[in-house]
Amino acid sequence: MSKVAVVGGGIFRGDRFRYENAEEGVAIAFRDLLDDTPELDPQDIDFVMMSYFSDHLNQQLCMGWIIQDYIGLHRKPGYRVESGGSTPLDAIINAYYLIKSGYYDLILVPGWEWMSEVDTATTNEFIASASDTDWDFTVGGYYNGYYACLETRHMQLYGETIEDLGRIAVKNHNNATHNPYSQWRSEHGTGYVTLEDYYNDRIVAWPYRRMNCALISEGACCLLLASEKVAKKYSDTPMWFEGVGLGTDSMRPGDRLADWAYYGMYPEDEKIYPSTVKKPKTPYPDMANFGSLREGAVTAYKEANIQNPAKEIDLAEIFAPYDGVELTLYEDLKFCKRGEGKTMIREGIVERTGELPCQVSGGLTSFAHPVGATSLMQSLFLYWQLAGKIPEKFGDSTLQISDAEKALTTGHGGTGCQGGVIVYSR
Amino acid sequence: MADEKIKIVKDESTSIYKEWETWARKGNFRVEGYQFIKGPCGPGKIEDAKMGEFMLVNRPHGALYTHSYGLVSKFFKGLIEKTLYGTRCPVCGTTYCPPRMHCWNPTCKVAETEWVELPLKGEVHTFSVMLFSADAFLEMLPFVLAYVQIEGSDTTVPMQVITAPTEVFVGQKVEIKFRDKRMGELMDMYAVPIKGQKVPEDSCLNNPEYLKDMERDLQGTYAYLEKRFGMKKEDIEKRWKR
Repeated sequence: MSKVAVVGGGIFRGDRFRYENAEEGVAIAFRDLLDDTPELDPQDIDFVMMSYFSDHLNQQLCMGWIIQDYIGLHRKPGYRVESGGSTPLDAIINAYYLIKSGYYDLILVPGWEWMSEVDTATTNEFIASASDTDWDFTVGGYYNGYYACLETRHMQLYGETIEDLGRIAVKNHNNATHNPYSQWRSEHGTGYVTLEDYYNDRIVAWPYRRMNCALISEGACCLLLASEKVAKKYSDTPMWFEGVGLGTDSMRPGDRLADWAYYGMYPEDEKIYPSTVKKPKTPYPDMANFGSLREGAVTAYKEANIQNPAKEIDLAEIFAPYDGVELTLYEDLKFCKRGEGKTMIREGIVERTGELPCQVSGGLTSFAHPVGATSLMQSLFLYWQLAGKIPEKFGDSTLQISDAEKALTTGHGGTGCQGGVIVYSR
Repeated sequence: MADEKIKIVKDESTSIYKEWETWARKGNFRVEGYQFIKGPCGPGKIEDAKMGEFMLVNRPHGALYTHSYGLVSKFFKGLIEKTLYGTRCPVCGTTYCPPRMHCWNPTCKVAETEWVELPLKGEVHTFSVMLFSADAFLEMLPFVLAYVQIEGSDTTVPMQVITAPTEVFVGQKVEIKFRDKRMGELMDMYAVPIKGQKVPEDSCLNNPEYLKDMERDLQGTYAYLEKRFGMKKEDIEKRWKR
């Protein structure tokens, strides 16, 4: 079977409000890709794999048809992929499967989201309709609340502190100040924040402050995927897929105490369960960890032949809508043992100067989070990283991780209802 | 059964159908307002942005959904009647609240479950203190959102715990209460802590620094509620000071 590579990408910078509409934003991102990939003739594209999350936000069904039409690729086969926050990662993986299986050689993956047409509270409500509307939404939660509950549980079990969550927030925001495509830099400029600034930030849903939460964004990104046969035509620095994996978990996080599908799957993680707290029937994942990402990582590492992710992965762009998700995923992605996520940040391992830098782009809380484009943006960032192109693209070499060979990215939908992992290499 | 017709057994719907008629006509996606604005736009980095002129239009849209609770309707009817139900799998014995009519344990092969009445008691499995929320819940702020494991159930139900926001903890024993006005939704019930419990030393919220910051931001929420809705802090605190 063919190897598959990312051979280029283009971006339409995410921000709180973008006044071009979605098809124009995607077209601008597509032009950015064409400018960057001189050998690409749009006629060469075999398939268009479209990525956007919500029909509610713009009151437009089948927006994929508008996009494909607008960029003149409407003769080509194409369809839309949707799985909440996992949408863009799943779109990339879908394209990967189609190339890997030999059906196509060259696939364009456009992703976008326009999230500011309704007010913030309504945006939150529309997104919350991805939770179970009979059982989770009606009690006043929405995602800030659900994720805060998950993080509280993890804190109670494994003892990370507000300071740990603050350090992650400070790390990501300060990384983003060096990213000239980041929403944080657009809104706040290039000054660094400190833990003191974090403590002064408002609590929205304890234990989360505003800085711990993903942004609301409008933006677009295009990624170009190619088979081994044609990859070199388009890029001198292809980023190869080494392994991919998908996973799912229960719809409602509250059911993960008797999460029978996971029963006995990870006995070593069930064992690391503190005796001070009443043990549920299925101690893993409980409402603390993310089984869907664990499943995705196991599959991806097997395909990529990764034995020790902490040593073999050089940098990671995690789909973390909240900082506690990032901390928890250090564990589920096996960068460390369950319960030791806190040491990854305390010891500086995940800082951009550390052994395993995470969210060098700034991630969802500071780069931007136009849902359908997010993983495409993170993968494009990794493509630039592995090609050593950050200084050229950003006009600032601060974020370039030198000599990176292998990179990882994740997708994450709902409350971890769906997840995925990709391992890339240069 | 072939002759049976659909019958309405109880009807609390008529008034909302009537009230919604006018709203449905409003929310028809017609343009109801517009603006011309100048805003940043264009490709590239932040510093490459140019100013462009755009027209923005306001298009309202609303809908009234009539949704069936399906085979677990009995649970929601139970809420109206102030009774709490779960379901139990006859094969593996797992008790579900929220109920599911078919067991999800793969070894039980989608076995049909049986209804069980559950006690109005439970335990906080995890929680968040909400100092901000979606529009529909703003007047309830600040509130504790918790996933509560009902006694005898193996899963948890989300609900609000009516307590001082600084006093909730994982493992807190609670009593389930019902609101006076019940519509057949989870919000019909809430939890109150059983009296006489102390916040444990090792509770993750039990840290003087955390509580100080919480108090500070609670004041912000009270100020917001007073400004927006004319609500008074003293009245809000009466919810849990009984």
